[in-house]
Amino acid sequence: MTTATTIGPSTVNVQAAIDRFQAVIGSHIASYLEACIHCGQCSQACHFHEATQDPKYTPTLKLVPMTRVYRRHKAPLAGVKKLFGLVPPELTADDLIEWKELIFDSCTMCGRCTEVCPMGIDIASIVGLSRQAMTAAGVGPSDLWEAAENSRTRGSPLGLTPQLLEDRLEWLADDNEVEIPLDREKADVLITVSSIEMMKYPDSIVAMAKVLNAAGVDWTISSKGYEATNFGVLSGKPDIAKIMVERLTTAAEAVGAKTLVIPECGHAYGAMRWSGANILGRPLTFEVVHITEMVAKLIRDGKLKLKPTAESMTYHDPCQISRRGGATQAARDILGAFAKDFREMSPTANHNWCCGGGGGVQAMGSAAELRHKVFQVKIDQVEATGAEHLVSSCANCRLTMDESRQALGWTREIKSLVEVLADQLEA
Amino acid sequence: MTFLQLVEGPLWYLAVVVFVVGVVWHLVGLVRLGRSVDRSAARSSGTAGALKAIALHSVPHGGNLGRTVYHFVTGYAFHIGLFVLVLFAAPHVKFIHDRILGVGWTAMPRWGFLLAAEAAFAGLILMWVRRLTDPVMRRLSDADDHFGVWLIFLVMLTGCLALQEAHDGLRALHMLFVDILLIYFPFGRLMHAFTFVFSRAYTGATYGRRGVTP
Amino acid sequence: MRFPRTLRASFSNTFAADGVAQGLAKPAARRFPAFDLARVAGGLVVVVLLLLASLAPSLAQSSVRPPAGAVTLAPPGPEMQGGALGNRSDAEVWHDVRKGAAGRVSIPDPNAPTLIQSQGQDWRVFHNEVVKVWGGRIFAGVVVAIVAFFLIRGRIRIKGGRSGRVMPRFSLTERVVHWFMAVLFVLLGVSGLILFLGKDILLPVVGPSVFSLLASASLQGHNLFGPLFVVAIVALFVTFVRGNGFRWVDVVWALKGGGLLGGHASSHRYNFGEKSWFWLASIAGVALSISGILLLFPDHLPGMVAQTTPDAPPARAMMQLANLVHGIAAVGFIAVGLGHIYIGTLGMEGALEGMTRGTVDENWAKEHHDLWYEAHLAESSTDSVGAEVAAAAGKV
Ligand code: SF4
Ligand code: SF4
Repeated sequence: MTTATTIGPSTVNVQAAIDRFQAVIGSHIASYLEACIHCGQCSQACHFHEATQDPKYTPTLKLVPMTRVYRRHKAPLAGVKKLFGLVPPELTADDLIEWKELIFDSCTMCGRCTEVCPMGIDIASIVGLSRQAMTAAGVGPSDLWEAAENSRTRGSPLGLTPQLLEDRLEWLADDNEVEIPLDREKADVLITVSSIEMMKYPDSIVAMAKVLNAAGVDWTISSKGYEATNFGVLSGKPDIAKIMVERLTTAAEAVGAKTLVIPECGHAYGAMRWSGANILGRPLTFEVVHITEMVAKLIRDGKLKLKPTAESMTYHDPCQISRRGGATQAARDILGAFAKDFREMSPTANHNWCCGGGGGVQAMGSAAELRHKVFQVKIDQVEATGAEHLVSSCANCRLTMDESRQALGWTREIKSLVEVLADQLEA
Repeated sequence: MTFLQLVEGPLWYLAVVVFVVGVVWHLVGLVRLGRSVDRSAARSSGTAGALKAIALHSVPHGGNLGRTVYHFVTGYAFHIGLFVLVLFAAPHVKFIHDRILGVGWTAMPRWGFLLAAEAAFAGLILMWVRRLTDPVMRRLSDADDHFGVWLIFLVMLTGCLALQEAHDGLRALHMLFVDILLIYFPFGRLMHAFTFVFSRAYTGATYGRRGVTP
Repeated sequence: MRFPRTLRASFSNTFAADGVAQGLAKPAARRFPAFDLARVAGGLVVVVLLLLASLAPSLAQSSVRPPAGAVTLAPPGPEMQGGALGNRSDAEVWHDVRKGAAGRVSIPDPNAPTLIQSQGQDWRVFHNEVVKVWGGRIFAGVVVAIVAFFLIRGRIRIKGGRSGRVMPRFSLTERVVHWFMAVLFVLLGVSGLILFLGKDILLPVVGPSVFSLLASASLQGHNLFGPLFVVAIVALFVTFVRGNGFRWVDVVWALKGGGLLGGHASSHRYNFGEKSWFWLASIAGVALSISGILLLFPDHLPGMVAQTTPDAPPARAMMQLANLVHGIAAVGFIAVGLGHIYIGTLGMEGALEGMTRGTVDENWAKEHHDLWYEAHLAESSTDSVGAEVAAAAGKV
């Protein structure tokens, strides 16, 4: 295993993991750990299992370390079972090192397994919590942690500091002759960015600005809180997760925003929309929406005039936007407004296959090979639609797919929904 | 005291107490672990989501049904067969009337018993042999999985062997396994008979708030 | 894509301490999986038998009462006199009765007038003196033969040892169907043998009260699992018929004694022995199924079998015939089945895993099924998990 060479058992703080595991087990998690009947049905839902057919990628195996701690220390009646020697042995450093691949590299926290599970076990959230325990023990992918640390120290996983943000926005605005407001004092809408877009797909920032300006939205970006991605959540570092949420909250409250818009990034949406208030420990004073929800509303309100296009398109649902986010309909409303030949994949919407790079897997070098293998599932799905364009609304999906398609020699380009939409704006 | 008196008397009472106290203790313990409130702004009702999930996860849904069909058919054959046997087999109705509730109901005819038993046995055996042979299930299965299957199999088997109701020995054997099953129940995966509601409901509530039917 | 050994071990560790039967989970991942199944299945049978055996004596003191719904016959009336006028002697009357002559009764049951169905005597003699006696001898012979074979030949090892490369052999469907049948075989076999030979072998040993308990249990169990056997045999035939047709190589194989006498005997996916077993099991299975159904539901299937002799009512003649067919087919099925079980487990290294994991060692395949091996060389690999998955998916 790749990690075994970098992390030795001697450097692993097992007790920290055990403590963390115990701390995160609430009644919902305990129910999940207890209810699994080892039926194996979840295997067919997980792209890692389907692409490799290796039984070790069966989702429920990702519950094992936490289950062991639970059964030994926390489960009701564990005391009685202990009398009879019926509790599992204590976790060891080797266990943690060996589970690193399952907890980090091979789970995108996409939630597909939950759908087929007869018990409805939310494996993705357990993986998220298990990452906290593994990270506390010092077991995990160093590149993912580095991205998280970058977020803490430099404001963004890809090193997008406030200064750099300002420079790039200025450059984008000038180059494209579009107004991109930064640090306006007050605004109805606070727009956040994903550093993946900023550094790799700057065109989608421009497109977003064009759309918002065309609709006459009162918006701004804030250098106090701009990074939407939350690598604290993905890497299992709750302190960083909180810092990231706090920055966005501070910025939104400072400009008096009614709405905070998450850009094209799935996990950023989940982290702020559904976990933000919980991480912060208090309800948010503003509404959190995904850019597709925002745009869909603008279209509904008649604020955007769009030229129809006959080019065929299919849409890749980012897991955290659709299945785990509930904003499934928004993208369809948008596409429905201009794409005359929109084709759904099969399966689609809440049942869609993951791109293979969610949950921070995209940022893990050790997972690259596996991730490319998994992408074949998506290629087959897209090819089956016969559509000319593959559109999505997550820059992380896009980056994952771009890397994988290059590795696999697949020529189709992946587009951003907002970019495609901006091209259809009536002048 | 004969063996039958033992397993229908003291041991039976012990088993019932262990079962009831164990299950209640277990479930109360589970709930008492607590869960912090979800402060996110709900898009739709969590309660409705929980109810939907409880219903929806009882049937295959959402695609990827390759494995599900097998488990669905064998699982339902076993569970329905078992519940019908437990509640409507003539000796059980009598036992429930005389020893547990004091009220009884109409027992099912013999052909009903046979059908239910065939379904229950076929389902159970088929689920178990898959556990022994399917690469995924082999990897997942542990002692508890097998032990639970065996216990329930032995309970059903001894029950059916005693069908002629002519030998106290056979009845006692059946009762012995019933007692063992009840005592083991709160400690093992058999608890899924209760925890499934919790697990489905929690997921359903989480997703329901997000406006998604899981 | 193999899991490191330690990881697999710790999966099983995780679970091992979880249930009461601590040791059970470990072999699933850590040890050779064949033993897992052997232990699990074997343990199940042993548990039931031991419990029955150990409990039986103490249980026997407890009461035995007539079956639920049993009818207590009225006590016999006064002695029958010959003819209304007393003009026939008792001897003549009884002579006729023994020959199966019908008298007159006032109830509508067509069977009632015949006091002694003389064909029943023929059935009884044949059943008790031929089927049972020869059945017992054949079982004893098979057991002796297996033990002798084991003592002389020992466990047949894989020539050249394991290669470390495995080939998919049996699909998941095939294995599920096989083990479904195997479970029923054990349940029906044990209960059937108690009913068939128990009176002669068990009764003298365990005494009447224990035997009546065992017989009652066996009767109920046998009747209950019988219908599932019908389903299983159909599934077994459908699943395994492919590749089980006889070919010329099988004749050669048979002439060479399957290589047991030295020299190499070629075979495809199944050898002559396996094919013969398949067909025997299928034919005996069908015979057992049909006769079993007739015996289970004699009242519900009237007219299914034509009246065999003028004096025997159809249902009864049918039952007698079905009973004999059932016994003979069972003797064949069980006797050969014992050989099958021996050679599939203890008797031959490397055979059982084909039915558990679904894969066999390349050297085993080469040695026992060379033609099949050559045709499937491409699927051979060192990736045992991959091969297992391929086998399950039916790439066999
Ligand atoms: S959440 Fe997705 S990636 Fe993770 S185990 Fe489940 S199906 Fe696999
Ligand atoms: S589908 Fe659900 S119950 Fe079945 S093994 Fe997977 S997690 Fe466990």
